[in-house]
Amino acid sequence: MQREIEAQGIPTVIIAALPPVVRQQGSPRAVAPNVPMGANAGEPHNVEMQTAIVKEALLAMTKMDQPGMIIPLPYEYHAKI
Amino acid sequence: MQLTITGNLQSEIYTPTTPPPVWTPLTKAIKDCKVGLASACGVHLKSDTPFGKAGDFTHRRIPSSAKGNELMVTHGGYDNADVNRDINCMFPLERLNELVAEGFIKSVPDTHVGFMGGGGVQDQFKSVTAPAAAKILKEQGVDICILTAG
Repeated sequence: MQREIEAQGIPTVIIAALPPVVRQQGSPRAVAPNVPMGANAGEPHNVEMQTAIVKEALLAMTKMDQPGMIIPLPYEYHAKI
Repeated sequence: MQLTITGNLQSEIYTPTTPPPVWTPLTKAIKDCKVGLASACGVHLKSDTPFGKAGDFTHRRIPSSAKGNELMVTHGGYDNADVNRDINCMFPLERLNELVAEGFIKSVPDTHVGFMGGGGVQDQFKSVTAPAAAKILKEQGVDICILTAG
């Protein structure tokens, strides 16, 4: 999906909980906060963390100059199971 | 290195291959960009048709004006507990709208895209779903697409 949107001429970034999968799938740009699958954009109701993840995903795009880069983001959330 | 290729034989070892790179350069400053969302989390309006949990490759249009409590996910492939509590943790629609108000980004399109990732018929995703999603975003002049998946 990301690759197709990118191929259509829109720069993309994916917020990924599973960076190895994203790498293998050939994602052009990815950021990876330390979150479980299902809370990629941050802890529920944690507006501060979600805002930071979205902002840094966008800022990361300005630093990526070649396809395949994955930038870790310093935000951590563990789901209580 | 010379690869040995023998017809009609397949390795017993699964060897995933990474597809060739795709790249569209970002040419605008973030503050001048219209930023759209495309999420594999299975998000849709509560009033819309839910995804079928077994290999549904359709997509849903998500109005950027939708409130968090008007949205839900239907997805059988991950723990929905967090996203049921707060849709923004997979589909950060309200966060994105706040970034427009803050001036961090220029605007959002009227319509974002939701679909149900995590398997299904990959060929259909590639040949049907993805071009449809790209078209929706492209027609609205989206400069950047943020995806949540994987």
